[in-house]
This record gives sequence, C-alpha cells and structure tokens, in this order.
Amino acid sequence: MIKIRDLEKIYRTEEVETVALNKISIDVKEGEFVAIMGPSGCGKSTLLNILGLLDDPDNGSFLFNNIEVAHFNERKRAELRKHNIGFVFQSFNLIDELTVFENVELPLIYTGVKSGERKKRVEEVLDKMQIMHRRNHYPQQLSGGQQQRVAVARAVVNNPKLILADEPTGNLDSSNGNEVMTLLTDLNEQGTTIIMVTHSEHDARYSHRIIRMLDGQTVLENIMV
Amino acid sequence: MLKSYLKIALRKLWKSKGFSAINIIGLAIGLATCLLIMLFVLDELDYDRYHKKADRIYRVDTDIKFAGNRFISAVTPDPMGPTLKKDFPQIEQFVRFRSAGGLLLKKDNENVQENRVIYADSTLFDVFTFPMLDGDAKTALQEPNSLVLTATTARKYFNTTQAVGKSILIDNQHTYKVTGVIKDIPPQSHFNFDIFVSLATLEESRRNNWLSNNFNTYVVLKEGANPKQLEAQFDALVVKYIGPQVRQFLSASLDDLKKSGSHVKHSLMPLTSIHLHSDKVAELGANSSIQYVYIFSAIAFFILLIACVNFMNLSTARSANRAREVGVRKVLGSLKTNLVKQFLTESMLISCIALVLALLLTFAMLPYFNDLAAKNITLDFRATPWLIPILLLLVLITGMLAGSYPAFYLSSFKPIQVIKGKLAGGFKRSWLRSSLVVFQFVISIVLIIATIVIYKQLHFIQSHKPGFNRDQVAIIHNSSPLGNKARVFREEVVKLAGVENATITGYLPTDSWRNDNPVFADPTLDRKRAVSMQTWDVDHQYIPTLGMEMVAGRNFSKQFPTDSSAIIINESAAKMYGFDDPIGKNLYFIRDINHPENVSTLHIVGIVKDFNFSSLRQHVSPLALMLGDNQGNVALRIKSKDIPHLVSQIEKKYKAIAPGAPFDLTFMDEDFNNQYRTEQRMGAIAISFSVLAILIACLGLFGLAAYAAEQRTKEIGIRKVLGATVSNITAMLSKDFLKLVIIAALIAFPLAWWVMYSWLQDFAYRTHISWWVFILAGLLAGGIAIITVSFQTIKAAFMNPVKSLRTE
Repeated sequence: MIKIRDLEKIYRTEEVETVALNKISIDVKEGEFVAIMGPSGCGKSTLLNILGLLDDPDNGSFLFNNIEVAHFNERKRAELRKHNIGFVFQSFNLIDELTVFENVELPLIYTGVKSGERKKRVEEVLDKMQIMHRRNHYPQQLSGGQQQRVAVARAVVNNPKLILADEPTGNLDSSNGNEVMTLLTDLNEQGTTIIMVTHSEHDARYSHRIIRMLDGQTVLENIMV
Repeated sequence: MLKSYLKIALRKLWKSKGFSAINIIGLAIGLATCLLIMLFVLDELDYDRYHKKADRIYRVDTDIKFAGNRFISAVTPDPMGPTLKKDFPQIEQFVRFRSAGGLLLKKDNENVQENRVIYADSTLFDVFTFPMLDGDAKTALQEPNSLVLTATTARKYFNTTQAVGKSILIDNQHTYKVTGVIKDIPPQSHFNFDIFVSLATLEESRRNNWLSNNFNTYVVLKEGANPKQLEAQFDALVVKYIGPQVRQFLSASLDDLKKSGSHVKHSLMPLTSIHLHSDKVAELGANSSIQYVYIFSAIAFFILLIACVNFMNLSTARSANRAREVGVRKVLGSLKTNLVKQFLTESMLISCIALVLALLLTFAMLPYFNDLAAKNITLDFRATPWLIPILLLLVLITGMLAGSYPAFYLSSFKPIQVIKGKLAGGFKRSWLRSSLVVFQFVISIVLIIATIVIYKQLHFIQSHKPGFNRDQVAIIHNSSPLGNKARVFREEVVKLAGVENATITGYLPTDSWRNDNPVFADPTLDRKRAVSMQTWDVDHQYIPTLGMEMVAGRNFSKQFPTDSSAIIINESAAKMYGFDDPIGKNLYFIRDINHPENVSTLHIVGIVKDFNFSSLRQHVSPLALMLGDNQGNVALRIKSKDIPHLVSQIEKKYKAIAPGAPFDLTFMDEDFNNQYRTEQRMGAIAISFSVLAILIACLGLFGLAAYAAEQRTKEIGIRKVLGATVSNITAMLSKDFLKLVIIAALIAFPLAWWVMYSWLQDFAYRTHISWWVFILAGLLAGGIAIITVSFQTIKAAFMNPVKSLRTE
C-alpha cells in the first residue's frame, strides 16, 4: 500500500538546516498495523505528516497504492487524503464549536456525502465507539478518553484504507489509553491499515511491526509475534 | 455545506460575545451612516425628475460681462422665451417665470404675507408636470389677474381644494381670480412655490426689452432635438436681437462692447442638473451643490471602511484561536476554497446582523439627520422597494470587504504547523494590522481637524467686523403696507425711548435687494472709465443707523439741498476709479435703462468704509449710495434692556398705520448668521461624523487592546514577578498603540491642512489654520486612544502574576 524510497525532508531556518528525514525507505502492506518509535526529534512526526499527505518531501519517491504522490500539489493531496486517510491526534483536535455528532460528520461533508446517508453513518460509528449517548455534547463536556473515541470515530467514519495515529494515548490515563488501543486493534482486524507514532512500548506491542527511527533514518524493525 | 458554515459561524459569534459585539456595533454604525448618506444622496439626485418631460427641459442662462463685472445668471430678457419658440422649430414649448417677491393676501380680515409667489406663463403646465386638482391646465394662467394655488394654499384660504372661481384680494388693492388648484409641489424641486400668478398680469412681460434680464426661462425640446446644436445658434441670436437694442440704448455696437472686453452669452442648463450644479444669480430657489454629494459619499465610504477595518483587525488578531480549527479542517479534507467560503459566511452573517441593527439605528437617527441636512427623508420600503436589493448589495460588499482578508489569511495556514501550535505569536508584528489602525486614525484625525477649522471659521465670521454694526438692529421686513406713511412711521418710532435711529430702505448689508448698474466717470459715458457697481437708494439716516464709518467726506445731510444729486461710494469703488481725491468729483449714471438719454450727474460727497454686503465668501465689491425714496424694510437702531417690550411698542405703532398687515421683525445679527447656515450645517455634520469615526475606530482599538493584553498574559506575569509595577505594564502596553496614533497624526496633518486650506479658499475673509489646531487634534485622538486602551491594559496589569502564569 505504501512504498517510500530514499525520502528526504530538510527544514531550513535562517541559520540552521535540520535534516528531518535522511533517505528513508519504508514499505507498509495493506492490513498492517505498524508502530513508529524513536526519541523526540528523530523525524517520526515528519514521516507521519508526509505519509498523511499533509506535507511533501524534498526528495525521493512515495507510492501510495502504486501512485506516485511525492510531488502532488495541495489540491490533489487533499483530494486523495479525504477519501483514503483518517487521522487520530494526541491532542484530539476536535472543533470546540461543533457537537460530537457534527465533529464526526465533518469528513463526510467534505467528501460530499448526502445528509441522510451522513446521519446513518455517523450514528453507526458513534454506536460502535459507544459514544452515541454523547452525540449532542460539545468536546469540552467530555472526558479525555471520550474525546479520543470521538476523534477515532471521526477518523474512521469515511471508511479510510489507512489510519495515521500520532501518539493517540499521549494525553490519556492508562485505562482510557487501553480502550483506544483496543479500538484501533479492532479496526485493524476489520482490515484497516494503521500506522501509529508512539513513545509507549506498551502501546507499540499492539502492532504487528515496530519501526525504530533515529536522526531521520530507520535503525531497526521488530516483527511482533 | 452552507448550513454547517452558518452553524459554526453562529456558535463562534456566541462564544466570543465581546468581539462579536464590537464587530456588529461598529459595522452597524458604519452601515447606518452609509444608509443615511445613501438616502441623502439619492434624494439629492432625484430632484426635478418627477416631471414627465424632465430630460427634455432646459433653462436658458445668461452670462454677461460689462464694465468690469460679470454676471452669470439664471434669468434672461423677457422676449427670450417667445423668440426661441418662434425661431427654432426644435423647441416644443417655453415658460417664463418672474419673481414676485412677497405678496399680501387677504384672509378674512387679516393680511397674510406670502413669499412663495411667482408669475408664470400660461404654458407652465405644458412644460412642467403639476397635476391639476381643479381647473383647466390649458387656460388657467391665460387671463391677467388669475392665479393657481397649491392644494395646501387653497385649503388655507378656502378650506377646500375646489377653489376655482373664487377670488382673493392682493396687496389690499387688486382682486385676483383663482383659476386652478394643483397638487403641492414635491419638495424635491429646485423651485417651490405656493402661488402662481399669470404673467399676463405684468406689463413687463410684453416689453420686448433685450437689455434687462429678469425672467427665468425654461424650454422643452422636441424628442430627439440636440441641445448642443441649439446652443450653438445662441450667438447669432444675440447679434440679431440684442445688437440693435445695444446700438439704440448704449449708442455702441456689439463689436465695440466686445472690444472693451464685454460679452453677452446664453446657454442651456438641463433641468435635472440645476439642483446640484447651478449657483447663479437669480436662481428660483437656493440650490445644493454636487460638492456635498461628493463629500458626504466619501465620508460614508470612509466610515464604513473604518468599521470593516475593525472586523479585519480583530479577526486576524484572533487568528491564533482559529488556527487549530483551520488545521483540523484541512486535515479532514477541507480545501482552501471551503475555508474561504466558511470565513466569508461568517463575515456575511455578521454584516447581516449589523444591517438589522443599522436599520433600527437609521430609523432612530433619521429625524436628527434630517435636521442636520435640512431634509425630509423617509425610509419606507413600501414606497421604495428597490432599496432592498441595494441594501443586500451593501451587506454583500461590506461582508466581502471585511471578510476577504481574514478569510484568505486564515485559510492559508499550513495544517501541520498550526496543529503543532507553531502559530502562537499571531498578534505581534503584523505591519498590516498596524497600518490599518493607522489608517483609521488618519481619517479620524482629519475629521477632527476639519471640525475645528470649520468652527474656527464660523467663529471668525461671527466676530468679523463687517464694516457695519449689526448688533441691536431690528429690521421690519415689509414697509410696503405702510405705503406713503412710511416716513410718518419712522418719525413715530424714533420718538420711542430705546429707538436711537431708523432708516427706510430696501437695501441692507444682509440678505435683501441688490441693484447692479454701470456708473461712469466720464460725461461721454466712455465704457473704459465705467465701474459696474451696486447702486442703492437710501435715506439720510442710513449710514448712522447701520453704524457704517465714513473714511472721507461726509454723510448725506439735509443742510445741503444739492445732496439730491450727491453720491457716496465705498473704498473699493474709489480705488477702481483711481481718483487722487474723489471728494467733489462727478460721476454719471443712467437711472432708467428705458430712457438712456437721461444721464444724472452726481457729485461725490463721501467715501464710506468698505462693508460686507454679500457673504464673507466674496470680497467687498464697488458700491454707491444715493438719496432716493426707496422702501422695503425699516431698520431701527435700538438700545433697550427690555427688548420684548420695545418690540411690542413698535408693533403697536406699525399696526396703527397698517392694520391687518403682518408684522415681521427680525434682528440683523440673526439675519447675518443665517447667511452662514451652510457653514453651520457643515460644522454640525463634520462634528457628527468625526464622533462616529472616532467611536468606531476606538471600538476596534478596544478590541485589539483586549486581545494584546490576553496574548501577553504570560509575559505580563513574568515581568511582574521580576518587579514591574502596574504603571510599567500599563505604559508598555499603551505605548504600542500610542505609536500608531502618532504615526497617524503625522500623516493626517498635511492631508488635513491641504483639505481645509482648499475649503477656506472659498472665503475672501477667512481664518488661518493655526498650529494649535493640529496639536489639539493630535492630543484629542491620542487621549481618546489611550483612555480606550487603558481599560484593557490596567486590567491586565493588575492581574495576579501567579494566576496569569498558571494559565499557560
């Protein structure tokens, strides 16, 4: 599903040039659950942003479903992104002015799904995330775990092929964290590919494979049994 | 999609009520001002358009240059109308008006002074559209001594609009027959009369005198006729008709006149342009000026712009708050265009809410505005349904103007940056936001300076010594009912304690009659040595009563019987003649243009100090006073502590001689001030608009200051922990804003100086723009800005640092 080769990303400020990704090459197959680990500043977030088509690489090749997307423009990336990729963030990133229902509905609006169909699908996914009873609440009225369940619901409502999770349990206590990891595992078992950046060895153990990064390169890959 | 935009927009509005209120109130005031001014401008542009033939009606104007003076007037000779119709087939019809001054109409046993009276040809209704309620438009004004009344006037005298056939006594001697009643003339007319008297009544209308211009002549061109083509033939008309009479009366040819720099020209003025583009001698009513339309429109635009700037500034200042939302939406697949649409929806929504508020404000402010602009504007959507799309367009423009920059600015955020929180310092160092604040204050300061200068000029006018003493002078405005007993009345009132002197005259330095004639320095009537000047017939008491000063020679005196041929000229006239010692020199004057052979020889007995007899906009022009039996007003110099008692005594004397005549007494200083109504109105308007502009600008500043303080909470906390005092913090936060006001002042000063310098050029007698005007304006703007900002800064400075640090 994902095939990147010799990917480079360099951040330049006036004085400093930081190599975030240094000719990195990774493959992810459809249906995989991959965890990316490494110390702060090793480039894992940059990698995730590029994989999520939020950012473009400076050099190298990125095949997404056998299409070269490395040099797609903003518009084309947005188009590809909204149909194929769901995101889960550490800080949830729910929109405060929208209710739970409306937050989850948002991706469907952007992909042009009809209102009746939207309602059905949002309710379905809220049900699955066991958060249906909170559908008319605003994010601030929910606990952290509930907020992240909404965020996961929002990520999967479009049935994306790929979910990118950036430290999804970073802001949660352990029981809420486990709940979210179980959710992700369930999704993966139903066929969704998941790539997760995490600091937590505990969370990483839910994945099939751990990619360890240092200074913009992969240093080790553990296959989980 | 739109529903989702609207939903989030409403919730955003509700969540940040303070900012929303500032935006909405600011925009509402801006829109209301805009709306008021739009109504004003539309009203001004709509003058005279109700006539069915409005686009084919033209007034014939006259431009005469003679003996060094030039008259551009709205009047023509009496034969102009009939001759044009006879000679030019493209003219469908003409109508002439002749001013009547005031007439006394008998109502029951009282005489009522009617001032809105005019003589008009019977063709009036072929040219203008005045719907007839009673009578026949074709014949109404044909017979001499017939008149047409407006509905209101008819009701006033006869309690009915069916007044045809009734008669009315005028000036206590002539009976006139009512032959028509028309609907009241709409206020949007460049002339407005209550009574039309048939022109056939006047002998003067048939005199065929091409040398005297007293008739306002209007023509209707046939459909498709070209006014330029017609105008091009006017020079030939002058040669054909005026030429022979010039030869006859002035014993010179037109070519001779031309050689000495004189000319007579005629032109056509489109009816619909008169109200805004015509300020000529002998207009049928006071017109407005297109300048006001421009000034008002510009002010409306700028005030709305100031309000829009508030919106832009507050939206972008708060961008950090919105940044995360933008990021999330982009990650979820929103395109930039989706976001632009969303933000524009928000600004449209705000501008819609503001419009509703603006409409309420407009209704509330309309009476004051009407007062200010001397108008009678109404806001009625049933009468003017086309106003609705215009309003919607205004909302659209405002929403776009205010929302476009924030929309494009916010939607251009890179999603990963904002999600990672890299866009925290959204407030500081935004030169664009700073320039917008500067822009707002430039406009405000210019308006403040304009206001101060206008009031300074008004004060100058009021304190200007016009060369006569206008204090304690009472004017009785119609001496005609006194008839030949006017002198008796004068003798009687002078006996009253408190009346020092009295004079009978039609000519006053304030608004009254004027009479311009050439006065020759040479017995051969050589035009090179003629001065065209005001020639006023006055009596012996004129100069002492009005407190004028003699600079040489003496006043008229009964001790000199030869004074019947004496003349007093003013300093300007003396200068024009260039006599070394004018006293005793002779001047030559044709008293009656119809008898040019009778030349009066006048000897100069005195020079009167120049006094202003037209507005201070003009320099004092040459003027001559001669003894003559002239009536019109009685002016009294009074000195009394109990003015009301004195006035009632004078009224008693007046009524004793002229029972039933209306007694109309005013004071000369009021009449004098009334000549500057336009300036007073300009002053009031400038004040109102500067207050509005400052108010809106400060509203924005208030919001920005609140935001700056909020953004710098942590910094303030750290500074306080390190020992900063409340005043340190307040000064630090205020300084940023004060700097902007100072920059604005530096830009505004030269701009305001230039604008107001140009305005003052309209006045021959004017104040100067002193340096303190600028200082005052700068201090005012700066002071108001600091006070506005300090509400926020002091609050921020008093915050407990422990708390403000914990909020991070």
